[in-house]
Amino acid sequence: MKVGVVTFPGTNCDQDVVKMTQAHGYEVVPLWHKDRFDINSVKMVIVPGGFSYGDYLRCGALAARSPVMASVKDLAKTGRPVLGICNGFQILCETGLLPGVLVRNDHGHFIDKWTVIETVNSTSHFSKSDKKKLRLPVAHGEGRFYADKPELDKIEEQGQVWFRYAENINGSLNNIAGVMNKEKNVAALMPHPERALFDWMGGSDGFKFI
Amino acid sequence: MVAERTLTEKLKHYRISQAEYERISELLGRPPQGLEWALFSALWSEHCSYKSSKVHLRKFSYRNGMTRDDSDENAGVVDIGFGEKIVFKMESHNHPSFIEPYQGAATGVGGILRDIFTMGARPIALADYLCFGDENAPRMKSLVKGVVSGISGYGNCVGVPTITGYTEYDENYNKNILVNAMAVGLLEGHMNLASSKAEGVGNLVVYVGAKTGKDGVHGAAMASESFDQDIDSKKPNIQIGDPFLEKLLIESCLEVLSKNLVVCMQDMGAAGLTSSTFEMASKGRVGMDLHLDKVPQRDSSITPEEILLSESQERMVLVCVPKNLEAIQAVFKKWDLDAAPIGTITDTKKMRLFWKGDVVTEIDPTLITDSAPRYERPFIPYQAKRKKSMIEPVSSQNKDQLLASLKQNAFYKNKNWIFEQYDQRVGTRTVRDASHTVSVVRLNSRRDLAISVGCRPAFMRMDTRIGAIDAIIYPALQQAVKGFKPIAVTDCLNFANPERIEVMTDFVQTCDLYAEIAQRLDAPIISGNVSFYNETEGKGIPPTPAVGIVGLKENEDLIPGCVLNDPDLTVYLVQMPGVVSYAKTAEVLKKESSFSGDLLVPLLCDFVAAMTAFVAKTKPQVSRVVGQGGLAITLDKMKSNGFECVFDAGDSHLFNSTKFLFEERLYDFLFAVNSSQQVQFEKELNVLVNKWNLVSYVLGRSRRG
Repeated sequence: MKVGVVTFPGTNCDQDVVKMTQAHGYEVVPLWHKDRFDINSVKMVIVPGGFSYGDYLRCGALAARSPVMASVKDLAKTGRPVLGICNGFQILCETGLLPGVLVRNDHGHFIDKWTVIETVNSTSHFSKSDKKKLRLPVAHGEGRFYADKPELDKIEEQGQVWFRYAENINGSLNNIAGVMNKEKNVAALMPHPERALFDWMGGSDGFKFI
Repeated sequence: MVAERTLTEKLKHYRISQAEYERISELLGRPPQGLEWALFSALWSEHCSYKSSKVHLRKFSYRNGMTRDDSDENAGVVDIGFGEKIVFKMESHNHPSFIEPYQGAATGVGGILRDIFTMGARPIALADYLCFGDENAPRMKSLVKGVVSGISGYGNCVGVPTITGYTEYDENYNKNILVNAMAVGLLEGHMNLASSKAEGVGNLVVYVGAKTGKDGVHGAAMASESFDQDIDSKKPNIQIGDPFLEKLLIESCLEVLSKNLVVCMQDMGAAGLTSSTFEMASKGRVGMDLHLDKVPQRDSSITPEEILLSESQERMVLVCVPKNLEAIQAVFKKWDLDAAPIGTITDTKKMRLFWKGDVVTEIDPTLITDSAPRYERPFIPYQAKRKKSMIEPVSSQNKDQLLASLKQNAFYKNKNWIFEQYDQRVGTRTVRDASHTVSVVRLNSRRDLAISVGCRPAFMRMDTRIGAIDAIIYPALQQAVKGFKPIAVTDCLNFANPERIEVMTDFVQTCDLYAEIAQRLDAPIISGNVSFYNETEGKGIPPTPAVGIVGLKENEDLIPGCVLNDPDLTVYLVQMPGVVSYAKTAEVLKKESSFSGDLLVPLLCDFVAAMTAFVAKTKPQVSRVVGQGGLAITLDKMKSNGFECVFDAGDSHLFNSTKFLFEERLYDFLFAVNSSQQVQFEKELNVLVNKWNLVSYVLGRSRRG
């Protein structure tokens, strides 16, 4: 399977996602922010974490307007899977592929720690572990999920909540750690599955993610 | 106007002494003029020239089969085989961090990272060594917060995990905090080590990275002076960092290096363009024509002198053959960075600086680099501060109350709030994060690299000799009890004013010991930094020679844990006779302290190797070197998941005495093993105990407390 991995200036988890993808024997197609790509050249796209464009303006806002994301939007329309991790989650919200927005953690600090998340609704594309609870690390300063009341209600009603934190670490509304689009082919989360592939990393719950 | 200044004013402005002025005049055959003032000011500063320390740093010349003499390069290199080289260095950013903590700490991280990737190595880990004042001292809470945010803001964005550190709180640092950062890089098979030696007449000098602004002008000279009351006036000397640009610079520089497009590369650190270009030229014994007006500028009012001295961040200079310029510019353009040719290599052996077509200065660069003064500052033989009778400040106290009161001190309070602000896992190499006594990253060859920082100021203040030995031996032992062999050392020697005999005496004693330990331990000191003049209004910091140590484990074997996570582990205490004191506890209690016993360098160094072998063989589940605050604090830190070490002995037993629990003994070790390992462990432990004249006890078992 060919998996596209997007790199923006300031993306810093792209090589980690490449390693995760290769660990499954998939072929990686690097996707550069300045270029549109042939949507038929890949079966899946991952938007990794980092600080795209330095997180200037607003996390993910500049990335959302890049040529590569125009192609990602086209690809998403075909029903092919798109996964966002951390900054990738922020970018997918900013492009409108996912509902809501991610704002500064309620305590105001960057936070790096192992967290437990619980699967609320599943998708056939990602997170194939049988476990309902997954232990994955987070590392973000702006991971507080926010949506206005009508939108939040809609996300809940339509079964678009993917994961909730067992313990709310950043003030996310409804403890939301990950969401999906209505069609469940675009999904994203704040924790980093690529940092939990093997026991030596501190846990392997991220291995069956893609 | 500069021209109207008197000589005295000029000497003050450029921080050049009368004697140095005379030496400059002698070298030039005339008094310095124009830009020469700025050049000598920057490169003859203590910060750039190491003029007070160089004669002693030469003692760190020991090298082994994995290391070579690259002391004039940006960082040291260890060739660990399998096509992997480790590049690392530690550096101070003390002065700027006290003036402006966020930017000071952030640019400290940025600067040390550039030293690593300018050599072609990808940075894979950061560590920090921080000394703050009393937490209630003026400005201290905001200094702590600012420094931590600065390290976090820069390291996280640039995508290099900060995985370990040491944080001291002590009133001796109230007016001079220490912020030392260490970076470790990995250079793999296909990449060549990049040099900083300019070569090839006709080759181009190319400026890459951020544009030059007026920030940080005279920063190097500022960092070479003591503080007075007026620190606000020094704010314009502070540099501003942009980690996003640094990330782009890392990727673009490594890309041009991997494509072999570059002859040599150098980062612009202290004294910016001046120090980078002059050092490149003098190392290569070539000349250089530099067109200062072609330097990309942030603002058009900038003067040639400011361009030369600016310490704007995230800039590098490289040399390439002319035909590679286009390919280099294409790479930098891809990353949206400037790459501007600003000069050429000449056979004149002179630096010629041009401004809009006119030569403004022409000078032999070696006069400024190689001919910098070397001072043999006066010192006396070190005399131990030991007192005849051992003062014992704790035994009258209730042990539970004492433990509770120690834990109230900022030093012992949980420091998770610091490390949780650092991304510790980006790069997906982290095997052990900062919550462990030793942090570990995994290499592509599936071997493990341990990274530790050392130097416990309480022991330094107790006795410089004991403290300096401990500064390397303690982290080396911490690595050894996890099965690692320490392979190389970097240092960051923070001291007060070297013109004072007592400061220089401590400095020389430290250098002599570090040189001896490095050789005996077979862990060469491959890089380092000296920070003098950590002094405010005549009061200096205690000697604080921080070290960074890298250790190697040649396999993926499980690393012993640090806490008691399981029931029914047998806990052993192993003691090596050495020094007994109450260094940190006495300080926290504000009582007088002394010590008895001594540390023997050859014995300790050989023991480190024996400990590495012992742990590799016995694979204990938990291992620790007992730390400051003695057994009481260390056992408290080992509590986990409801389990703790419950003593077999009764209340009246030695183990339960306040003295036994709180003495800081160099060195005590704790191991915990499960019942299936016990027989084998005890057999090997007996061999170790007999060979090294140790004492061992079964202390207790892990149980629900």
